Amino acid sequence: MHFIVCLKPVPKPGAVKVDPETHTLRRESAELILNPPDLYALEMAVALKEKHGGKVTALMMGPPNAADLLREAYALGADEMVLLSDRAFAGSDTLATSYVLSQAIRKLEPYDLVLMGKASIDGETAQVGPETAAWLKQPSLTQVKALWPEDGLWVAVRFFEGFEEEVEFRGPAVITVEPEVNEPRPPSLKRMLAVRALEPRVLSAEDLDCNLEKTGLAGSPTQVLGVFTPSYDREREVLTGEAEEVVEKLVSLLRTRGLI
Amino acid sequence: MGGFWIYGQWQEGRFHPVVYELLSVARRLKPALKEKIVVVVLGPEDRREEARELLRYGAEEVLFFVHPDLGYFRDDLYSEVLSEAVAERKPAVFLFGATAEGQALAPRVAGALGLGLTAHCTAFEVDEEGRLLQIRPSFGENIMARIVSKTRPQMATVKPGVFSKAEPVDEPEGVLEEVKLAAVPGSALRRRVVRTLPRKESPLSRARVVVAGGRGLLRRENFDQLFELAELLGGAVGATRPVCHLGWISEDHMIGVSGETVSPKLYIGFGISGALQHTVGIEGAEVVVAVNSDPEAPLMKRADIAVVGDATRILPLLIRRIRELKG
Ligand SMILES: Cc1cc2nc3c(=O)[nH]c(=O)nc-3n(C[C@H](O)[C@H](O)[C@H](O)COP(=O)(O)OP(=O)(O)OC[C@H]3O[C@@H](n4cnc5c(N)ncnc54)[C@H](O)[C@@H]3O)c2cc1C
Repeated sequence: MHFIVCLKPVPKPGAVKVDPETHTLRRESAELILNPPDLYALEMAVALKEKHGGKVTALMMGPPNAADLLREAYALGADEMVLLSDRAFAGSDTLATSYVLSQAIRKLEPYDLVLMGKASIDGETAQVGPETAAWLKQPSLTQVKALWPEDGLWVAVRFFEGFEEEVEFRGPAVITVEPEVNEPRPPSLKRMLAVRALEPRVLSAEDLDCNLEKTGLAGSPTQVLGVFTPSYDREREVLTGEAEEVVEKLVSLLRTRGLI
Repeated sequence: MGGFWIYGQWQEGRFHPVVYELLSVARRLKPALKEKIVVVVLGPEDRREEARELLRYGAEEVLFFVHPDLGYFRDDLYSEVLSEAVAERKPAVFLFGATAEGQALAPRVAGALGLGLTAHCTAFEVDEEGRLLQIRPSFGENIMARIVSKTRPQMATVKPGVFSKAEPVDEPEGVLEEVKLAAVPGSALRRRVVRTLPRKESPLSRARVVVAGGRGLLRRENFDQLFELAELLGGAVGATRPVCHLGWISEDHMIGVSGETVSPKLYIGFGISGALQHTVGIEGAEVVVAVNSDPEAPLMKRADIAVVGDATRILPLLIRRIRELKG
């Protein structure tokens, strides 16, 4: 079986820089890590491969320096590494990103399932999974907690608010995995050493036969007009002094306002 | 043609509360956008009367697509029915609740039709050109972004609980338009079992008092004292995302874009910087108190009462003082 796991490079929390002109993230400026929710998708795919045979392809759209993150994925059990890297991808919103991913996924046929994390910690839209499925005209299942093959079909358990659903479907399909449904393994030392000699396959927009009107800023229908900091011009009390003193002041203020 | 569309999500035979919240958004924007407010509902025909009920909450039309196969949500099937309806009727706006179902469905429709989609909007405005400005906290720490879509309909999702629900109208004027579908596309998904999960309604969303802590509390032991204070004040404990990730408390206590929305009479934040991703969750709080060693922290600017000082000292002192008062 062939599982494709899409992994996103995200800026390490606390290290984000925003391009003052395009208002998109400047990824090159921040230290990148594997998007933590994606690790549950990778673990799910690797566990399925171990049980049923096959291979796991780690697929990432990102800048050239994200290649090391793919090596990390290899150490975590992926077998093949594919990096989608091209200036033409810069500034992609979720629609343009999912277009590029879908073009790459087509190149990686045949495959059984595409797995992704539920959302990324920087954008947190949870949109790329279902959008990729739409480009591929395949079923999508979000927030999946468990997944297994059964008589030529797949069975998934997925979360909704207040209930979970057991659903059967025919692959290929795109799955997003709910965080914390498994325990991602630690990297294997043996694999860490082995991957040093390996290079991810790098594919460009041309390699993927991308229509350049659908990638990057050009292919992104959402456009950030501007950013602003909300201002709160309101009457406020500022309490300063020794801790005992400010606590006393605070308590009396809250009491006069009938709040405690 | 045109219209302000709202996805009418079902929940146990009724409509999900977010549908009424989206109706209030639509009604507020109506004078500026001048688009007909339409709730789009999918289901078998025996749901007609429930669907009609939405007219009482200000829907000017309920567009009800009827087919026996539409009895429960299936991503591929629902998105194909909606995509076709959008392609044919060309609404100007299409909003979804950012529920599990809405987040599974909206991006499939967007992907199928090549449309822009903005996640988790916390406010909307309309500009001179009549475009819908979709406002959400942006990547960096303390900025909100105004986003527009180059495509139509302008699509966005809204987290449940951010907007108030629409009030019933005196004289409903809308109509139910029932569209009987002769056939619907097949689905690759077949439901086997549904298991109800224990409803974990967060006590936060209804709490009268919320005491919340952030990284400025420095250690878990300090954070744990919030439970004492919450108990004294009859309130609930909230947290910022980093402290949930540090494992000080579970994620269902998180307040903000990725967590709960609260609207208490009193919110006290200890050692919380006040990133917008957090403060969008406390917009509904009546009185905001911030305790922070940095008087310039954004939450201190936004607070009604800004207490400058070391939260790890102030918290235990405050607990002691209130205990004394309560005797
Ligand atoms: C996509 C995305 C979604 C997010 N969603 C959420 C969300 O839903 N909820 C959320 O909360 N965050 C969310 N975040 C994170 C958010 O951007 C902030 O990073 C976070 O809210 C900051 O948490 P904090 O205030 O605990 O920590 P910090 O920002 O580190 O602030 C700590 C504060 O404590 C003060 N301090 C330090 N020591 C003391 C002391 N001894 N006494 C008093 N004050 C002290 C400091 O002055 C500082 O102001 C999200 C981020 C992203 C990118």
